[in-house]
Parts: sequence; C-alpha cells; structure tokens
Amino acid sequence: MSKFTKELVDDLAAKLLIGLSPEENQMVLDEFAIIDEELSKVDSFPDIKKIEPMTHTLDDFTFTLREDVASESIPIEEALKNCDKTEGREVEVPKVVGGEN
Amino acid sequence: MDKTIEELHSLLKSGEVTSKELVEESLKKSHEVQEKYNAFVTILDDAKETTITDNLLSGIPFGIKDNYSTKDILSTGSSNTLKDYVPFYTATAVQKLLDAGAIPVNKTVLDEFGMGGTGTTGHTGIVKNPWDPTRMTAGSSAGSVCAVAAGVYPYALGSDTGDSIRKPAAFCGIVGYKPTYGMISRYGLFPFASSLDHCGVLTRSVVDAAIVADAMKGIDEHDMTSWDSSDIHLYESLNGEVKGKKLCYIKELCDIESYENPTDELKLHLENFKSSLEVCSSLGIEVEAVSVDQKLLNALPSVYVAISCAEATSNMSNLTGIIFGPRGEGKNVTEMMMDHRTKGFSTLIKRRFVIGSYILQKENQERYFKNAQRVRRLLVDTWKELFKTYDAVILPVGSGPAKHLDGSKDILTKDTAALEEHLQIGNFGGFPSITIPDGFIDGLPVALNITGNCYDDENVLNIAYAIESKMNYKNQIAKEVHHE
Amino acid sequence: MSKYKAVIGLEMHCELKSNSKVFSSAKNSYNETPNDNIAPVDMAFPGTLPVVNKKCVRDALMMSIVLNCETPEYMYFDRKNYYYPDLPKGYQITQMDAPVGVNGHIEIECNGKRIPVDIHDIHLEEDAASLDHYYDTSCIDYNRAGVPLLELVTEPCLSSAEEAVAFLEHMRSTYKYCDVSEADTKKGQIRCDVNVSIMDCDATELGTRVEIKNINSFGNVFDAINYEIKRQSELKMQGRYDEVEQETRRFDEESGTTIRMRSKVDSIDYKYFVDPNLPKFKIDKEWLEEIKKGIPLLALERKDKYIEELGLSDYDASVIVKEREYAEYFEECLSLGMDAKIASNWLTTQILGEINREEVNLKDFYLTPSLLKQIIDEIKKGTISSKQAKEIFYKAVEEKKEPKTFINSDMAQISDRGELESLINKILEENDAQVEQYKSGKDNLFDYFVGQVMKNTRGKANPVLTKEILKEKLDK
Repeated sequence: MSKFTKELVDDLAAKLLIGLSPEENQMVLDEFAIIDEELSKVDSFPDIKKIEPMTHTLDDFTFTLREDVASESIPIEEALKNCDKTEGREVEVPKVVGGEN
Repeated sequence: MDKTIEELHSLLKSGEVTSKELVEESLKKSHEVQEKYNAFVTILDDAKETTITDNLLSGIPFGIKDNYSTKDILSTGSSNTLKDYVPFYTATAVQKLLDAGAIPVNKTVLDEFGMGGTGTTGHTGIVKNPWDPTRMTAGSSAGSVCAVAAGVYPYALGSDTGDSIRKPAAFCGIVGYKPTYGMISRYGLFPFASSLDHCGVLTRSVVDAAIVADAMKGIDEHDMTSWDSSDIHLYESLNGEVKGKKLCYIKELCDIESYENPTDELKLHLENFKSSLEVCSSLGIEVEAVSVDQKLLNALPSVYVAISCAEATSNMSNLTGIIFGPRGEGKNVTEMMMDHRTKGFSTLIKRRFVIGSYILQKENQERYFKNAQRVRRLLVDTWKELFKTYDAVILPVGSGPAKHLDGSKDILTKDTAALEEHLQIGNFGGFPSITIPDGFIDGLPVALNITGNCYDDENVLNIAYAIESKMNYKNQIAKEVHHE
Repeated sequence: MSKYKAVIGLEMHCELKSNSKVFSSAKNSYNETPNDNIAPVDMAFPGTLPVVNKKCVRDALMMSIVLNCETPEYMYFDRKNYYYPDLPKGYQITQMDAPVGVNGHIEIECNGKRIPVDIHDIHLEEDAASLDHYYDTSCIDYNRAGVPLLELVTEPCLSSAEEAVAFLEHMRSTYKYCDVSEADTKKGQIRCDVNVSIMDCDATELGTRVEIKNINSFGNVFDAINYEIKRQSELKMQGRYDEVEQETRRFDEESGTTIRMRSKVDSIDYKYFVDPNLPKFKIDKEWLEEIKKGIPLLALERKDKYIEELGLSDYDASVIVKEREYAEYFEECLSLGMDAKIASNWLTTQILGEINREEVNLKDFYLTPSLLKQIIDEIKKGTISSKQAKEIFYKAVEEKKEPKTFINSDMAQISDRGELESLINKILEENDAQVEQYKSGKDNLFDYFVGQVMKNTRGKANPVLTKEILKEKLDK
C-alpha cells in the first residue's frame, strides 16, 4: 500500500482534475488520518474478510429489465442549451489529441 | 402558511382562502426568510395558483431542494459548477407533486450537492437557523428545513445521504422523513452517493409527511432501484394504535455513563430523550435498552465517509463544464475541465473527492472501501436483527441542539461521533427513518428519531404519529430565541 | 525467428444489435445526424440514471453460452472511472466483478485444422461518444454513447497472426449466426486489442506482454501481430530482450508498425467499483434454457453437416458456412428441392463472385433461390446449355428480370439428331481439306469442327450430341 503523502494527494487531485491549495492538501491528510485509524481497526475484526461487501442498499426486491423499445431522441436545442460552446449540432472542445481508449 | 396540509386543503375547498392567496403569502414569506436566513437559491416569483381538486396537495405551495432537477428552473445543487444550469427535465418525485397540483415557490439552499452537514457550504452562502441566526441549521437540506420551520409553506423536499433530512429537521424543530430506499424514485436527484441517497420530505407534522410521501412515491421506469409500493398507504394507515409495539434504544449511545466527560448540554439532551421514552411507555409501547458492539459504532463515521466519498467522486465526474456548467479556461480540454472543477467545487468537496479516490485505488480498495462495505453490512445486519424483536429503534438525534456558526467546522471529531452520526445506519440499510421534535434545550429544539425495517414505513410513521400526539411540538413555527 | 514461439491474446469489442441502447432508451442505430439518438443519461445530465436493456443481457448471455462460459448467479455492473471528453459520465459502465461469462472455451478452424481457444471472459458494457476532429477543434457526437458492446477476452493461447484472425473471423461469423450483431468492421462495429509476447520454444514461462490497442480491421490485427513478433524476436536475438517492455502500443497503418503509447508503470488505475444504481439481477435458470434453445446451428456444425450429409467438398462447405446469409441461401435452395452440389456450385462460383464484384449483400441480391431454381430447372430439362444458363444468370441479375423471361423457344438447344446430322454433313463437306488433315493424324482439329458447329448454330447445338455425331462421322 502506498502511503498517503502530500505528493500522492496532489497526484490524485490532478487525476480528478482538481487543483488543491497547500492548506487543502494538509486538511485531506488530517481528515484521512482519522478514517485510516478507524478502518485499520476494522481490518482486525475477526472474520471480517468473510463478510460480503455491501454494494447495493436493497437486494430483496423484484424488478424487471427494460424491454428493448427505443424512444425519441431529446431535442437538440434542449440537449445543447446549457453548453457554452457548440458547433452545429455538436459540443465543441479544443482539438483532442492522443487517445485514451 | 403556518397551517397543516389538511387545514389548508379544507380552507381551499371551502373557498375561505384561494390558491392564489396562498402563493402570494408564501412568496412574501420567502422573501422575508431569504432576507433573514438566506434559505433560497431561487424564489419563483411568477409561481401560479392551480385548480383545487380532491388531492390534498392541490393549490398548496411547497419548496424544492436545489439538487432536484426542475425543467426550465435553475437547478444548481448549490454548486458553482452548475450555477447557471437550467435542466430540460423534471425529477420524478417533483413531477408527481406537480401532477397532484402542488405549487413550487422556491428552490432551497443545500450544502454543495448534499455533501456536508452544516448548511454553510452552498455557493450562495450560509443558511441561518430561524430559531437562532447565530446557529447552523445543519444540513444538507438547510434551506428546506429553515423555510418549513419559518412557516414559508407546510413542506419542502429534502434529500438524505447520511442524515441530511433528519438531522437539520431536529435542529429546526420540525419533522424530517426519509422512506425506505427506492420507495421514491431518485431519477432527477443530483447524486451524492447513489447507494445512500434517499429522497424525502420536511414537514411540521407526521401527518403531512405521510401525505407528501404518499404523493412522491412509486415505481419509476427511470430508476431501477425503485419498487412498487402501491400497497403502502402512509396517510391512511396513521391510526395512533401503538399499544404493544416494541421499541429499543442503544445503551452505548444513550446512557450518559458511556461518555467520559459529558457536557451539560449532552446531559440535558440525554435526559430529555429518557423522558421521551416515558411518553412512549405511557402510550403502551414497550421500550427496552439493547447493547450493540461498540467497535461497530466507533467505525460508523469512517465507514460512512469512506463509502460516500468513494461513490461521490465517481458520481460527480460528469461535472466538467463540457456539456453543461460554465466552461473552464485552458489551452486544451483537460485544462478546461480542471479549471471548471477547481473553481467550481468548494474546498470540502474537493477534499472528499481526493479521499474517495484514494480509497478506491486498486491497492487500497480491500483495506478501505471493501472493509467499509463489510462493516456497513455488519451494522445493517445488526439492525435487522433488532427488527426481528422490535418494531423500530428509537434514538436521540445529535448530541444537543444546533451548533454555533462560528468555530464550527465540518471535520470528523471522535468523542460523540457515533451519537452524532448514527442516523447514517438508516442510509446504510435503506431503512425508513423519521425525526420528530421532542423538546427544547435552552430554548432550542431537539429531537428523537425512529428507524424501522425496510418496507415497514407505515409502522414507523404510525409510531412517530402516536408519540407526536402525546407531545407539544407538532406544527411549531420557529421563533427567534436569541438575536444576532 | 523460428527459435521463438509467440503467445497471443485477444480482446474483441463488438457492437450489439438492438432497438435501444444498453442503459438508455435512445435508438441504437447508426445516424449521420450528430446527437440525434440521445437520451438524457447518454450525456450524463445530473440526476439521470441507467436502466438495463433486457435484449442486450439476453444476447450477452447467449454468447456466453455459445462460448461454453460459466454464467454468474447474479448479474451486475461496475464503473470504470476515467476522464476523457468522449465519456460524459466520467465512467464507463462495464463488468469487472461478475461478467456474463467466464472460463469458456471454443474450437475454431485455422488452415484446415481445428484448434481450441480458451476464453477468459465475456462482458457487457457501453460504448463512448465519438469525436470528430477538425483543424484546431474536436466536436462531440453522443449518438454512439451508450451503444451496447460485448467485450470478449481470450486467454493468451493463440500462437500466430493466422490463428488470431481465424478466431476473429470465427467470432464475427458466430455473432452474425446468432443475430446479435451486424459485426461489420467497415462500420467500426468491431475493434480489437491484441497482446503479444514471445518465448523460447522450450520455455514454460511467458515472455513480456505487449498490448496493442484499438485495432479496427482484421487485416491490421494480422499485420500488427506479425510486426510485433518480428520486433520482439529481433530484440531477443540481439540479446536486447530487456528492451521489450510491458507497455501499451498502437498500430500505425501507414508505416505498418506499432508505436509506443505508455508503459505499464503509467497504466491508469480505473478505480473499478460496483455500480449501485444497477441492482443485482438474478439470472433465472429457465431464461437461460430459453436462450439456449434460440441458438442456431453455427458455422462449424453446419460445415460438418454439409460434408457428411450432403457430400459437399471441404472447400465448398467452408465457403458456404462463412456467412450466415450464405448458409441460409444454400439451405433455402435445398428446401426448394435443388440438388445440393448444383446449388453449392452456383452459390460458390457465380453468385458469390457476383456479390463480391458488386459489393452487395447476399440478402439484397436480386436472384433469390426461387429465381435461381428457374435456371437450374431448365438445365435439367435440357432446354438450355450450361453456357446459356450463365448468360441468363447475368442478364437476369443485370436487368433485374426473372430468368424465365430470357428463356424462350429461340434459345432452346438443338438436340434433334437428324437436324444436327444434316448440319454436320454440310459443314464437313465445306471443310474437306481439314477433314483430310484430321484423318491423316491432326487430332486437335476435332475442336475446330465442334467450333464450326457451334458457330453455325449460335451455340445452340447440344454439345454432347454434336461431339458424338462428329466422332461417328470422322472416325469411320
């Protein structure tokens, strides 16, 4: 496990596309110290690893999957009305170079 | 506007008052409350009256927390990232109220995207407590509790991820109810932590909470976690018959002996709670003390932060200023998104994103995220075990009345942490949970909470209704006890 | 280079066919008009939620069964978190924890040999938006955002570019047989990631794995693998194998080479976690059975049947089963009572030749099996020669008119012995010089006489009868 350091805080923040001030950085470390302490104790709970992590709130209700029926597209003027930069029917951004996926 | 929904409905029906007059009064009150307590992001001055039907909500004004999507009405989540965002669709829960003939008159301030419990982190500034403007309302449904407590209208929508309806309701002397997870569709509620987010309502009485939740609930094809509750009738099932019901409270949280150096305020608070238990007994309700593993309770606040921050950091990844929200500045897309997010989010949210992100890192997930999810299950199972014997768990809300605005920070503290945060178990399990006022400390309201098993909303509300009837805090309007 | 063996694994992404997208009810169809197939959740408007499409789950389960995978008891989804302008939510909904299928295996055919392929997993996920690039801007079109994708991941178990492409072809055909995808590489419906490592032939431990991402045609998969094997082998031979890094590369079509994108060290942590908005869905055993029943006979099974039961050649059977529509065309011919070998000949030569030349789909081909039958019936009756039949075929296809409109009395073959004999007598008389030469040993002049007969009858003389009469008369 990598230790939570100032550098790691900044790195994570950068990957989340947010900038942090030095004060904010320190606050993250302070806040996390409490969580770390408490959750470290959890790690030593007997048989904790045998518990299935709870990922969903309810798992005892019935639901159906959606039938494959298409509906009308949202009107283009509504789709783009909150966008600050558009070109024709599209959202415009500065040229994207390189690829992620 | 200080009346109950039933009273207003009969006045409207008989013609003693018109919907137009109610809207005018509510708007006038909105401006006064805005002036004094800063409760609203938007006041809908052009709100129009509606036709009075047999629906109890028709013609009556209400407020909407600003994290509900409302078509053609600014919906900000109290965040600069969405400060100009005008949605083209309306949240299901809101639409159901509009269909019932209810009239939205304002959008209320929250802690940014519901992340926070102080009412101080919204982008339009701090919301003040109408009982004492030097104090917090708590949050995140700060504007909604403030407005309902101040008598702007009989009810307002809230949302509850940790205790965001049920805790501020306590500090403002009103009722806050979040039904079982999925009973009200989340479609159109700006997400904070999807597995913990609940829609709900703030009112001044249990009856009103039942009426509004009845109108908001229902299965929604847009929310796969919603379910069919057509056989649940909250309002109709309120009969006050609670004789023989069983409640329990958690010793570790409620006994003053559990605390090393309790403050006078905490002592008063727990004494007040014990006297509320006597009210229960007088109703023929059996109340018993139970014991819960202290280390589970100690882990609770951190488990909540871990899960909610992790989900939040992912949920709010759509806030980049590309499709909506103000475009950031920068040479390339990444810089633009970064500028938008850095300027748009408050410091609290940014910190929590980083924590959430750290917890979700591949090498940390097991230790933090999955362990948190495991403790979540242990806590939920513990409560479910209690529900085999008891109709509900009854507990005091918080460690006293509303906190002061100065010197208060929304950072985790350890001593009374579990007492402050136990309502989060209601979110962990998706349990129906309601807060009702049960007294005053130094002229400021305090409250108790009743939490029951999933789908048992009728029972939980009925117990709350019976207790409320025995006490004198129903339909109270905030009166400033301290002045700035 | 033969000193080393290559180990190849594939990731194949294929767009599924459906009316609506996988997590929204927007249309799932190619649309030239940007942002014309969008639901609010496709653009991640705040408060919107995903809702799972039942057909996509069904199709994914069908492929899981076809690949002999284990299906999970409960189906759920994970979020893959990263920021990119084509990903509006900031995460992709995919399956990491419990894919629709794991630990599968199938048999494919490569160069006439059947080889086993192990499947790591197959999972259902959503596609991203598409970016249109201009001089200094890019424009985002969300039509593709949320289109269902099936990602298939093999174990590193293939050993050559041929095998890799054979596998991809096999899967493409399987998707089409099962009617879950158009599987059209030209429309970008299939994209592949490839991982390649090499090792000494007698080694047991895998070499350093290099991944080549986002290859959009099978031809490029073939070239990329071969380039990468060559690159790694050369480095290894030069004793510079440590320069082969665990990294991600991309294939550059123009140079035919692979180019480094990022090393393993810089790999992105996608912070996968289970999406709480999509509840765990119990996969009903009965539903699985029902899906299983809907699986048609697949290519290799059909091929075996055609060879064993219908006596087709391995080659013809392979050609016919290559595409579902070929096999369907063929089987329709059979159901109309045509002879299997005759139908197979027409399909594999004339018809496929024509549709390839015209670049049309067999489904849209004018000459349906019942129209083809008009031609074949006339050959059988002896009304037309096979040469004429071909002419009629091309005329019918070109003019889009029924073959029978070109079959008339004028076309009928001259099969009357008396008529032919008198004609041949006349020709032999007119060519007595050639007859003399033939009789003195110039055998190859026989074809000359046949040609003369055909010329005089404008090709209508029955060729078998003509040869018979000519032999009688010349050899006596």
